[in-house]
Amino acid sequence: MAAVTHPSAAPTHEITQTHAEVTRDVVRTLETASRGYVILLLSAVALFLVGLTTFGVLVKDGLGHAGYNPPVFWSVYITTFVFWVGIGHAGTLISAILFLFRSPWRTAVYRSTEAMTVFAVMTAGLFPIIHIGRQWIFYWLLPYPNQRFLWPNFKSPLIWDVFAISTYLTVSTTFLCFGLVPDIAAVRDKVTGWRKTVYGLTSVGWRGTDNQWRHYSRAYLYLAALATPLVLSVHSVVSWDFAVSIVPGWHGTIFAPYFVAGAIYSGIGMVLTLIIPLRRALRVEHMITEYHFDNLAKLTLLTGSILFYAYMMEYFVAWYSGSTFEQTTFYRRAFGPMWWAGWTMIICNAFVSQLLWFRKIRVNLTALFTISIFINIGMWFERYVIIVSSLSNDYMPWAWSQLNPTWADWGILIGSFGWFGMWFLLFAKNFPIVAIQEIKEMIPMPRKRGGHH
Amino acid sequence: MRTLAIVLGAVCAGGLVAVLVLGGSRSAAQTTKPVADSVRAAVITDTTSLSGPRQPIFFRHDIHAGQFKIPCQYCHYSVAVSSEPGIPSIQTCMGCHLAIAGSDSSAKTEIKKVRQAWSEKKPVEWVRVHYLARHAHFPHMRHIKVMGPNACATCHGDVSRMPQVFRVNNVNHMGFCISCHVERKVSRDCSVCHY
Amino acid sequence: MPDEAPSTIDRRKFLTVLGATGGGALALSGCSTDKVERLVPYLVQSEDQVPGVATWYASSCTECSTGCGVHVRTREGRAVKLEGNPEHPVNKGKLCSRGQAALQGLYNPGRIKGPMVRNPDGTFKLVTWDDAIGRLAAKVTGGKVAVISGAGAGTFSDLLAEWTTALGGRLVRWEPFGHEPFRAANKRVFGVDKLPAHDFAKARYIVSFGSDFLDTGLASIENQRGFAQSHGFAGGDVAKMVYAGPRMDLTGLNADEWLAIAPGTETALALAMASVVAGERGGAGALASVLAAHTPAAAAKETGIPAERIERIAREFAAAQPSLAVAGGIGAQHAGATELCAAVNILNYVAGNVGQTVDFAADLGSGDGYAALGELAAAIDGGQVGVLLVHDANPVYALPRTSRFADKLKKVPFKVSTSMFLDETSALCDLLLPHHHALERWDDSAPRAGVRGLMQPVMEPVFDTMAAGDVLLKVSQKAGGALARFNAPSYQAHLRAKWDALGAAQGEKDAEGFWHSALQRGGVFQAAAQAAPAAIALAADAGARYAAPAFEGQGDFVLAPYPHSLLYDGRGANKPWLLENADPVTKITWHSWVEISPETAASLDVRDGEILRIVSAHGSIEAPAYVYMGLHPGVVAVPLGLGHTAYGAFAEGRGVNALDLLGAPAGDFVSYLSTRVTLEKTGKYRKLASIAGVPRQLGRGIAEAMPLAAAKKGLTVKEAYLEEGHGEHELNTEREVVALKGWSEAQHQATKFGNYAGDHPQWGMSIDLSRCTGCQACVTACYAENNIPTVGEAEILRGRELTWMRIERYWEGGEKPGEPVSARFVPMLCQHCANAPCEPVCPVYAAYHTPDGLNGQVYNRCVGTRYCANNCPYKVRYFNWYKYNLMAWPSPLNLQLNPDVTVRARGVMEKCTFCIQRIRGAQNQARLEDRPVRDGEFTTACAQACPSDAIVFGDVNDPESRVVAAKRNARGYHVLEETNVRPAVTYLAKVLHSVEG
Repeated sequence: MAAVTHPSAAPTHEITQTHAEVTRDVVRTLETASRGYVILLLSAVALFLVGLTTFGVLVKDGLGHAGYNPPVFWSVYITTFVFWVGIGHAGTLISAILFLFRSPWRTAVYRSTEAMTVFAVMTAGLFPIIHIGRQWIFYWLLPYPNQRFLWPNFKSPLIWDVFAISTYLTVSTTFLCFGLVPDIAAVRDKVTGWRKTVYGLTSVGWRGTDNQWRHYSRAYLYLAALATPLVLSVHSVVSWDFAVSIVPGWHGTIFAPYFVAGAIYSGIGMVLTLIIPLRRALRVEHMITEYHFDNLAKLTLLTGSILFYAYMMEYFVAWYSGSTFEQTTFYRRAFGPMWWAGWTMIICNAFVSQLLWFRKIRVNLTALFTISIFINIGMWFERYVIIVSSLSNDYMPWAWSQLNPTWADWGILIGSFGWFGMWFLLFAKNFPIVAIQEIKEMIPMPRKRGGHH
Repeated sequence: MRTLAIVLGAVCAGGLVAVLVLGGSRSAAQTTKPVADSVRAAVITDTTSLSGPRQPIFFRHDIHAGQFKIPCQYCHYSVAVSSEPGIPSIQTCMGCHLAIAGSDSSAKTEIKKVRQAWSEKKPVEWVRVHYLARHAHFPHMRHIKVMGPNACATCHGDVSRMPQVFRVNNVNHMGFCISCHVERKVSRDCSVCHY
Repeated sequence: MPDEAPSTIDRRKFLTVLGATGGGALALSGCSTDKVERLVPYLVQSEDQVPGVATWYASSCTECSTGCGVHVRTREGRAVKLEGNPEHPVNKGKLCSRGQAALQGLYNPGRIKGPMVRNPDGTFKLVTWDDAIGRLAAKVTGGKVAVISGAGAGTFSDLLAEWTTALGGRLVRWEPFGHEPFRAANKRVFGVDKLPAHDFAKARYIVSFGSDFLDTGLASIENQRGFAQSHGFAGGDVAKMVYAGPRMDLTGLNADEWLAIAPGTETALALAMASVVAGERGGAGALASVLAAHTPAAAAKETGIPAERIERIAREFAAAQPSLAVAGGIGAQHAGATELCAAVNILNYVAGNVGQTVDFAADLGSGDGYAALGELAAAIDGGQVGVLLVHDANPVYALPRTSRFADKLKKVPFKVSTSMFLDETSALCDLLLPHHHALERWDDSAPRAGVRGLMQPVMEPVFDTMAAGDVLLKVSQKAGGALARFNAPSYQAHLRAKWDALGAAQGEKDAEGFWHSALQRGGVFQAAAQAAPAAIALAADAGARYAAPAFEGQGDFVLAPYPHSLLYDGRGANKPWLLENADPVTKITWHSWVEISPETAASLDVRDGEILRIVSAHGSIEAPAYVYMGLHPGVVAVPLGLGHTAYGAFAEGRGVNALDLLGAPAGDFVSYLSTRVTLEKTGKYRKLASIAGVPRQLGRGIAEAMPLAAAKKGLTVKEAYLEEGHGEHELNTEREVVALKGWSEAQHQATKFGNYAGDHPQWGMSIDLSRCTGCQACVTACYAENNIPTVGEAEILRGRELTWMRIERYWEGGEKPGEPVSARFVPMLCQHCANAPCEPVCPVYAAYHTPDGLNGQVYNRCVGTRYCANNCPYKVRYFNWYKYNLMAWPSPLNLQLNPDVTVRARGVMEKCTFCIQRIRGAQNQARLEDRPVRDGEFTTACAQACPSDAIVFGDVNDPESRVVAAKRNARGYHVLEETNVRPAVTYLAKVLHSVEG
């Protein structure tokens, strides 16, 4: 795959293995599960069941079990929805955009991040259904001919949302599956028995012929090009869920870029949280190296700083607008009843990310992991603050009230993590979590550098 | 934008609904064949073959409305003034059936039931045929006002030819209302019916 | 909407229950057509009922002794709404919350299902009416009969009186918050043993000595109407209103000036004012010398109000002609009450108001007073009572526990109750003969001279009950003897006979005609003959006396128990509407509270919701604190009406009864303001079930007001601000509005096609904040009209009440100590914005704009994303978090539902619809008659109910309509105008009478 061979590539990160070793190492990750893995998987499933039960109760009795407290009509569910959509973005960024930019360091991590994208979006996709009052007719949000002569309101950002998310899910899934084909083939050639048949089918007759490679790399390039705009579009649309409203604290023109940056920031946070333990668990330290984390960290620093700027800008705009409503909202965001949430968001996102100016921290996995946890928390709270604190004090002082979340809120939140974790773990065990082919392309070849096989 | 959406909806779903409606009326044609254009209502021996729910009393619209040409509003007294058509009270039935005992045996037995209900002071519990969801408000009187006293058939089918009333159109399908409103260029505003 | 299925009723289920009176009806319902539904026809079609068309009956309200006239809306043989009778001289078509809630008494699940007798084990068992009446007949002949009844006057109470005398028994007509002090004082000062009627419309200056004449006082609806005339900037001017009392009640919150006097010192203030006024105008006659002793300086010592302030108000009072001073409320409920009423009489006399704004011709009815009840209690102790009949009274609950009335009751061998509910008193009785509800029986009321209200059954009885009148007659027939002369075949016949006599007395030839016109009009109404001012002279021994108030017991605080605005003396505590509808002053629902002043709160370090123990010499209660700025520091106030031990599931075990703190009553009346208490912190806390968020406007110009001077000049709100040198905001930064106009214009071009082409009416509303008193009659009307579920305390704690119409109460001032505090009321409902933010964000067009300018909400299309509610700046959209439709109306309450309005299922958004069902109804009718809808032909439920006519509704496209006229008013403004949502509701700024002069 010519795409990734890059002059600057070779020196920065030598892969010292032979093709055979690479394949062996990766395939090893697919062998029978360790006890640790099984425990992880089971706990993920358990969490998912918690969420499922909660959802059941919500459908039975109504949303009242959740802590909604008007005027806060959206709370934990939408927060978590945005959180998961955001997570997805890092994946696409790394696998598609960095691919187009010929950035070689993506190779080792992109497969896992891409998987993360798909499962994150799968998770997010559930929330529009979970949070509505009459879940059983969620399909009314889709445009389809019906005897009522009715169509959805294409003016509504919630409809844009439906399209954005479904598109994103389709494209990223295709992209993932497509990228998998050669690797599955490689696995197929190593394993035996029924697994061989399964991989045989899923590798859709890949033989790695020049001809196949030629079409493959072209198609891969186009898919990457197709996926790239989504990184920007999807979360812009999600941000418009809020930006087009007139709620003080939502009604901001900077929301699209602000959200996209936040999305990538949170995404990479999640990538780090996942990869750092994973590479040890799967014993692929030599493939996902310090070099990769350094780069990921730099990206985090960049997006984190953009967020920092966005936060400051929000306050500036609030002050500059001269609108008493905006000003009150932002004052209360920092010093109101929800000050703690507001500061959690600022510290975890704006401040913590600044630590990454230091290379020592960027390459210290323990530090990185800790920071990544902060990022996850911070980004969840960012959405929580934007949604809940803005709603709890908008135009009518008489209606102001505070949210008090309940077990139903946490149940769904936990469940979403279980659902995500379940799929990710299953994937990691059954498909090469490290892209075999592209790693091989990293291996310096005496005869000819990279190029087609 | 909104208008556009509605128009689009009309165009696409139009076909679908047309099929629905046609299908409905076709089944109607078949079941009413036995009494096709005969002034005198047929004698019906086998009631099991009749479509529509079986009523506690085998009340024959085809005899009352068809053969004897009793206007609908004689019994459904409030249809022209109220949103409710009005279910005739047993008293109304007795108005005639004190005198009329029925010609043939089957009629006699059915009319006995009415008189019994009257004497026992137990109203007959008819099985509802046409049902409209409770979040839709249908002002019968306005439709009668505009389309005349015999407009009933538009939605209820030609009841005067039905030995036993059955559902010709599903009046609970919004599409059924809309298609007519579109055709006649009258309001399609939701809040006309939904409030 | 599947959830709707089992319990919700609308016209369809009504159709299925048409035959309920003729035979058993069952109603399976649901949205899907495959369920089998039965149609049960009438056996005999009643002439006056057309299915789907409402039938109205005129009747009279019996919820209090005011005796307002009502119109009852019935559908398919069920009463579904109560409205005022426009022809009735007292309430002129309006009805208060308590009156409207009578409907929930009719369908109350707590009603006694039929006649019952007490088993030895204290439980009750149902018996037949024959049996029950036989038992009573057997006892009454034994003599030693006593009867306790309510104060309501009329044919029944006359019959009861005759019946009792025939048995040689004694009748006591008693109800709480009696008016004995007034009668006594009027007798002493003017020699008339009557209650006065006050003409607030005429008054140019009003001083209330603790009287809550706008809310819990007698004839509050009538007073509100008058008050709106004089104080509502109606004639281009505003009469000043001063409220003197230890606690600001709703009337106080409507005053221009509050004198926070020490409890029980109203008399000193009144006399001081009288002496000043007499000095100004003379005419005190013999009293002049007596009055001279009561100087403002002396009063200042007592009341804590500076002498010069008293003097100022007195002079203003004297200068304004005619003025009006009223006593009442908590002011007239302490030992010195009679003195206060006398003093106020004198004040009115010297100010020349008697015969002007104070008139005794009406002779408002009232009961016998506590003295009689005391004597009865003594008689019981003396074993002189063998049979006690309790009718329309609940003394066991309404008397302080220290009166030990329950124990006395137990001593009576045979106790009978006609109560509709198993309340505290009837629970102790041996025989229960449940009365018909006022809407189920023939009866009448004689609330005042010249007014005779008629009642007729508007529907079949819900339960196996019997009118008390018939019980008396049947018992008489069974017992014979002295009772033999009560031989009318039925109470209806008895009533008819009385009315024929009445007709004859009024010179009516045609008795039949008289009766029928009375039935149609709801009674016969004649203006009471105005007594000439001269007729009422100041008695020589009027006696202007003031004794410093004495309160029993120890403690730093005087306890002020006051009648709850909605539950009143507790009779409302079993009606969910009244429990859920917030108290207009504190905005607390469903539970008791204790009001403490900010000073007290500071000294005790107590915050809202901290549970305090209030201890008196006679007992103690625990209630959460509510820190109230409108309270004298020396006082703690507790609303009455809760803390029931019986009286149905809604009332039992809810809140506390402050009467437990009072000493045994003595003398002519129960003295509520009589006890000192101490406050103890319990360390416990509960969140107050209040519907108030932040009760301050934060300079957002929600409840605008302007000075009288500016209003007289016809300035707009903005101009008024600039004149006061405010400059910027409050109103708004014009720039935003201008910037957005263009865009919203474009928006509206889009709504010119399809349905929107052609000209439609544009429904609009105007609300005059100068007239609104915050009484919340509109809120109850909205609940009744629109099938709004009551969600209960737990949900209100989560802020989930569904008050389509809510009255926001914003505080002004009172932030720094000593700064005067006042309140502004804003009725807040869906503004039906022409440029509504909720519409574009709805993904399914459930929220959309109708061609006739409404902000439509299609329940059955709503999927419940709730984005509309987030985007609504007024926060007037409400969500069905649970299946409220299955929880709010336990059978038979569900029979009250308005069949014209869809009952909302869980998971959908709902909000004010401008009573679209009334709009469509009027349009349908107009269409049948081939004519356009006339202005004023119909109006919304809130506008219909508003006692002060603050709300006007109509078609803005009709230049002749009243609403257009109202909207043209210079005081008009839109709440949150800067959001440029173009509301269809215009508010008219409140006009403030400056405190000085």
